[in-house]
Amino acid sequence: MKILYFLIALFLTLSGGLLPLFTQAIAAEVGSGAEIINNNCARCHNSRPIQEFSIQEWSVIMPHMREKAHLTGKETEAVMKFLKTISSGPDINTADVVEIPILDGGALMTKYGCQGCHSFNGQGGALGPALDNTVEQKGAEFVRKKLTDPQFNNPASAMPKMPLSAAQIEELVDFIEQK
Amino acid sequence: MRIGKFIGLLAFASSTTAFQVYATPQDDTGRFVFAGYGDVKYEKSDLQDSSAFSARFVPIFLFSLNDKMHVEAETEISLNEAGETEIELEYADIHYFLTDTTTITAGKFLLPFGQFSANWHPSWINRTPWTPGIYGSHGSSQAMTPLLPILSDVGIAVQQTFYFSSKQKIFLDLYVTNGASAEAHAEEEVVDEHDEEAEEGEDEHAAAFPEVEFEATSGDNNKNKAFGGRIAYAFLPAIEIGASYYTAKYDEDERLDITAQGFDINLIGSHYLIRGEYISTETDGLEEEDEHEAADIAVFKRNGWFLQSVFQAGQIWPQLGGTELVVEYAKTNKFAEAKRWVAGVNYWLDARSVIKFSYEDTDVKVGDDDQRLAVQYSYGF
Repeated sequence: MKILYFLIALFLTLSGGLLPLFTQAIAAEVGSGAEIINNNCARCHNSRPIQEFSIQEWSVIMPHMREKAHLTGKETEAVMKFLKTISSGPDINTADVVEIPILDGGALMTKYGCQGCHSFNGQGGALGPALDNTVEQKGAEFVRKKLTDPQFNNPASAMPKMPLSAAQIEELVDFIEQK
Repeated sequence: MRIGKFIGLLAFASSTTAFQVYATPQDDTGRFVFAGYGDVKYEKSDLQDSSAFSARFVPIFLFSLNDKMHVEAETEISLNEAGETEIELEYADIHYFLTDTTTITAGKFLLPFGQFSANWHPSWINRTPWTPGIYGSHGSSQAMTPLLPILSDVGIAVQQTFYFSSKQKIFLDLYVTNGASAEAHAEEEVVDEHDEEAEEGEDEHAAAFPEVEFEATSGDNNKNKAFGGRIAYAFLPAIEIGASYYTAKYDEDERLDITAQGFDINLIGSHYLIRGEYISTETDGLEEEDEHEAADIAVFKRNGWFLQSVFQAGQIWPQLGGTELVVEYAKTNKFAEAKRWVAGVNYWLDARSVIKFSYEDTDVKVGDDDQRLAVQYSYGF
């Protein structure tokens, strides 16, 4: 009898009118990969350093985490896209370089999903500290070091090391400071 | 001549194929990953009157068969007190991603009852070296009698994520598994009527406290299957609250039920974590048989809860780095009334490895109390 209940519940879940509704909803709005990491990883554990695994390994790990964290398929894809962005160097990711000015702080913040984890101008995640007054409070050198070696001041920091050039780091420091 | 052309065509095709095979590693899609966790622990227990080092290694094997199918298996390899190596299959299952939001799982899987078994039990995730007092599985030995010592079982599950926005979701998990069974050769404990009267004033007859076995097996002692699930609401990234249910007939005659309900909460802040679960169980047990009549069924009700808070001090004072403070309180009521305090300091060496210094004090109403000190080095890999 319990199997019957289970099958009925399964049938209602899969064929119910709600499913298309939610499937359509997700098509309209999926968070960025960084935002999904911010929203979901810390529910159970620290975010693991992105550089710990290769993209091929992440492609096997993410389906595992999809089930564990109840991520949707589209969210999983968004995370993979973010991981690829972080893992690829600026010279390799030529398609994005063409579209995004390489020395534009705002565009760099968007590309690397900084506000997925950090609040800035009142918007963004809470996994990391707010960026608004970081340069003023901690100094430009701290921000440079954080972007160069994210774990230098906290070995447990979940912040990934972005593939940024020295010029891009300066651009980001200026952008955060001017805001 | 035709043979020559054929050989030439074959050579060209072979070279093309060889190029394609060579090109495959450029793909971003992997097939296999070896991950997992492990720990080394020093523990001093007053109850056991001993202190000892222990070690575990828990590899996880992940296979991505294709976009729709994913295989995972976790084994726990540990050394017991006699020096023998013990290997336990924690889970081994296959996920089929039916739709964007629906996943079917078959095999031996972590039971989605509450959050501890399904998500928080790995030692590099659990903030103390011990399981919460209301659980008792996963190789732990503890003074508290667990309410639902269940980690995983064999069967089928379906998971549905209802997606409202990137911040709001409802999770639904349903499962059918082999379920619990009556413990073989159980030394049944006859509940002392007077003790219970002192506690609650209920239960008119002395009855044997039922011993229920939750160990997952590839067999079943009856045709009945356990059924249950969990529904949770998540307001990400800060809150997740869930309600769980589990029911099974555990005896060969399919007369005796065990039913459990649970509530769990998970609060995630920028510098704190608060995790808790409440479980209540109703377990049927047979009263003493009359000479002329079949034994009546008595219902044993228990409940308990735990609440764990973690203060990530390094988030407030950066000079403390990965330091966090942990306090946990657990309580079980009736038939095995006990309470336990845990206090600890953890230091994260990096995002996946932590050293925990913890002390626990367990006060058991009927039985021996316990105090333990543990230092555990846990790592995920």
